Parts: sequence; structure tokens; C-alpha cells
Amino acid sequence: MSKSVLIIEDEPFIIEALSFLLEREGIDFDCSTDGEGCLDIIESRRPDLVILDMMLPQMNGMEVLQSLRNTEAFKALPVLMLTAKGQKKDRKAAEDAGVSLFMTKPFANDELIANVHRLLDE
Amino acid sequence: MSRTLVGTRIRERRRAKKISQVGLAKQVGISASYLNLIEHNRRGIAGKTLLTIAKALEINPRYLSEGADQGLIDRIKKAAAKTSGAETELGRTEEFIGRFPGFAALIERLFDQVEVKDQTMQALSDKMSNDPFFAEAMHLMLSSITVIRSTTDILSSSSDIQEERQQRFLSNLMTESERLSKTAEEVLQHFEPSGEALEGESDERSVETFLESKNYFLDELEGPIYPLDAASRIEELVDGMAISNVDRQRSVRILSAYAECAERLPVEAFLGQAERFGFNPLLLADHYQMPLHLIFWRLAHLPPHEDFSQFGLLECDGSAAVLYRKALNNFSLPRYSSACPLWPIYGAMSQPMHPISALIVMPSGEQFMAYAVSRFHTPGRPGVPGQLRSTMLFSGVNIPMADRLSRDMLPEITVGFQCSVCPRTACLSRRNGYLLG
Repeated sequence: MSKSVLIIEDEPFIIEALSFLLEREGIDFDCSTDGEGCLDIIESRRPDLVILDMMLPQMNGMEVLQSLRNTEAFKALPVLMLTAKGQKKDRKAAEDAGVSLFMTKPFANDELIANVHRLLDE
Repeated sequence: MSRTLVGTRIRERRRAKKISQVGLAKQVGISASYLNLIEHNRRGIAGKTLLTIAKALEINPRYLSEGADQGLIDRIKKAAAKTSGAETELGRTEEFIGRFPGFAALIERLFDQVEVKDQTMQALSDKMSNDPFFAEAMHLMLSSITVIRSTTDILSSSSDIQEERQQRFLSNLMTESERLSKTAEEVLQHFEPSGEALEGESDERSVETFLESKNYFLDELEGPIYPLDAASRIEELVDGMAISNVDRQRSVRILSAYAECAERLPVEAFLGQAERFGFNPLLLADHYQMPLHLIFWRLAHLPPHEDFSQFGLLECDGSAAVLYRKALNNFSLPRYSSACPLWPIYGAMSQPMHPISALIVMPSGEQFMAYAVSRFHTPGRPGVPGQLRSTMLFSGVNIPMADRLSRDMLPEITVGFQCSVCPRTACLSRRNGYLLG
């Protein structure tokens, strides 16, 4: 059974680029453009990895992450945070909340895909 | 301390002028051995002999008797200490100022400019850290760059992309490039300094500079003036200062405070009472039954006279930000804040309306009489505390008008100017290290 990824991102052109990259790797994926709606998708689709933006409408990425870590079923779900907020304090807050990997935008496609594979294989 | 160095200053100046001890003694009409004792501070010197020596050495006798402005000495030392890599002769600062007053003034001015620039940089840094527009703009720009970088990488590294998708990626690139350009322009406009702001920053001291040029006494605001006339005269004075709108408000506030004390304490009558009460502000406030800070302002703004100009004034708000400053020759004042926390002006804030009097002793040993009082500038209301303003009047202890009795009764407080130039390293109120230590 192939692994699947959920992209939670509100910038459509970034979603489009990420979609192409995952598609090229043969990885299944779903998309959500807001923090609130993504929780239902995670509950129903049970992805193997979440690529999570921090600045999201309704519910921000940190709140989504905390919500996942407070839910028994998703405590260990790999979460790759992909954000433009790359200050030390943001990274620390994400790490304290239990992020699996913190990457800043703009990112290198190769590096992102390598990290996606690593997190899916763990 | 400066009085004990008169002989040292004479020796330094004589050597600088390349005059022998014998030659100077002969020129002044005293014996070389007596001059030797004077130069080693073993004999006091004043009056005619001091004047004659000063004339022979072509120097202002005041420099010989009082030394250089302590504030200037502190600032030159601070400038040297803050400039890493420059090996300066800190122990000869006073000699340097005496020998090269023009260069010393230049260094002080440059150091002032550096400090103003530092403050501006800090303000801009704070603005960038806390500016919601900038935070949002940065997020937008990074998002655009992310799209451009990632999409360009896809287009350049993948040869088998469907044409329809390729066109969409190109369209995305175009859209994001335009958005990036637009956001960048907006950021540029947001941070483009207006002429007004620049003037405001560079003219921070303009009203004080103006008052200093008038010896802190404005004929235009003295005498019986109707309040409306005072307002228009203040406007005229501020118009003449050629300052920005940012600084204009501050200048009007300061001149209005001056006008209030001039109106409520007419100078002619006040001078008579001031002499009667030995220029003691507490007795004058009691006599006039007026708020003490008004007496402070009046005493600090008397007509030019060799004695009357000897009061300095500092006023700050509850955050200790400086609202107004009139320095004395050897009592330097902070431009913004960060003076010695032991100064009575700050202590007065803990007990509004209760004046504090003290004999403050500087690290150099120089003493000043200081009076401070704080008041509620705006009244408090339920849930909102009143806003404090604190004012300090100070003067040297050796001025002829000093009330010796009240001076002797004042409690003594050992203070400094600023931590960075204060050698009292064991002080419990110290905020940061001694730069010169």
C-alpha cells in the first residue's frame, strides 16, 4: 500500500509546485487550504505524513500541530513544518510542540523531497 | 577634586607652551620655588596671581581654577571607551581638552552624532520587529520567492512536463513575480524616511540649543502678557527655530512651561524674594504658595548674571524619558534617559508631591545641591493611574547665593552620572559595567 501525504497550505501556487513534486515521486497526496478543515481530512484519510504551513487561515499551523499531538491516534504522525517564519523562536516553538522536521521557505525541491522520503520511511 | 588640580593644570599648560618654570615665575613676578610649590599643589592659588599666570599662559583663568567641563571629560572618555581598537591616553583627557578645546568639542559632537544614530537604528530595529505591515510583507515576499524558486527548479529540471501544466507554471511565475515586485515597492515606500522624520531626529536638541543661545532667558515671554499673546509669541519663537513638526510640539510644550512660570512668577519681584530667601527653592515655594516645580523652572531661567545662571534643570516622565534638560558646565545630563538611578529626580517618583533635597556627591568629589519633586501631570481615574512628571533643580555648592545653612543640613548621597562612566563599581544600583575600568 503506497504512502500518502497531506499538504496543508494556503498558497495555491505552492500547493501546485508541491503537488507536482510528490506526483513525480509517485506519492499519493491530498490538500487542505485551512487549518480547521484539515483535521477532518486527517481523521478520515489517515495520511502517513503532513506537510504543514504555519500561517494558515482559521487555525494556524502551531494550533494544528498541538491538536494532533493532543490526540492519541496522531501523537506519532510525522509532521514536516514548511514555513516562512524561520526565526529561532518559531523553530523552538515548533520543536517544543513536537514537530518532526522544521523547514523554512524558500526551500530546495531536492532537499524537500529527500526529507519527505526519510519521514515516510521512518 | 578640580580645585586641587590647579597647580597640575598650570604645569601642564606651561609645558605645553614650552615655558620654563623659571621663565614663568619671572614673568609673573614670583619666585621659581614658590611656583614649584603651586605646580605640585602644595600651595593654594587664587586672585591676582592666578589671573597673572593665566594671562602669561594665554588661557582662560576659569580653566585653570575649575578645569574642563566634567561632562565633556566624561563624554570624551566614553567616546574613547566605546571605540574598540583605539588606544587612547585616558589619563590625559583633561590635559587634551585644555590643550585642544576645538578638537575635544569636535570629538564630543561626533560622539553625540553617533549616539543619535544608534538611537535611530534602535528605533528602526524596534519598528521592524514589531511592525505588523513589515511582518505581513515579509511573509508575502517569502511565499512569492518560494513559488518562484520551486517552480523554476521544476521547469528547468523536468523535460517531460505536459504543455498545459508547463503553461500554468509559467503563468504562476509571472503572477508571483509581479506580486513580489509590488510587495517590495510597498515595503520600500513604508520604510522610506520622510524628510520630517529625519529633521525630527537630527534636531532633538533644537529647543534646548535655542534656549542656550538665549542664556535660558526669553525676554519675549517675560513681563505681563495675556495668555493668548503668550501662545502667539511661542508660535513665533518656534517658527524661528526652523524645526520639523515632530520637534515643534516638543518645543511648544517646553516654551509653554517657561511662559507659565514667567507669568506666575514675574522675574523682577521674584529676584527680590529669591535673594531674601537665599535662593532656597523650598522656602520660595512656601512663600509663594506655589507648586515647587514652578519655582524650579523660574530659578533655572533667570536673567543673565554671573551668579543667576548657575541652576540646572532636568525633567522626566514616569518612564524616566527626558522631557527637558538644562545642563550645568560640570554636571552633564542624559539626552534621553539612563542617568544614575540614585539621582533624587528618580527617587522623587516613589513619593509624589514630597520634595527631596540632597547634597549629591559625584565620583570626582564634586558636590551639588539637588532638589527634586514629582507631580501628577495628568490625574488618575478608576483603573488608570495618573501620569507622573519629576523635576530636579541642581546647583554647585560654591556659588555665592548658596544658602550655607540649608546646604549643611542636606543629607549626602553619593551618585554618578551614568553607570558606564562611573567608577563606583560596588554600587548596588549599577546596571552595567564600568567602561573605563
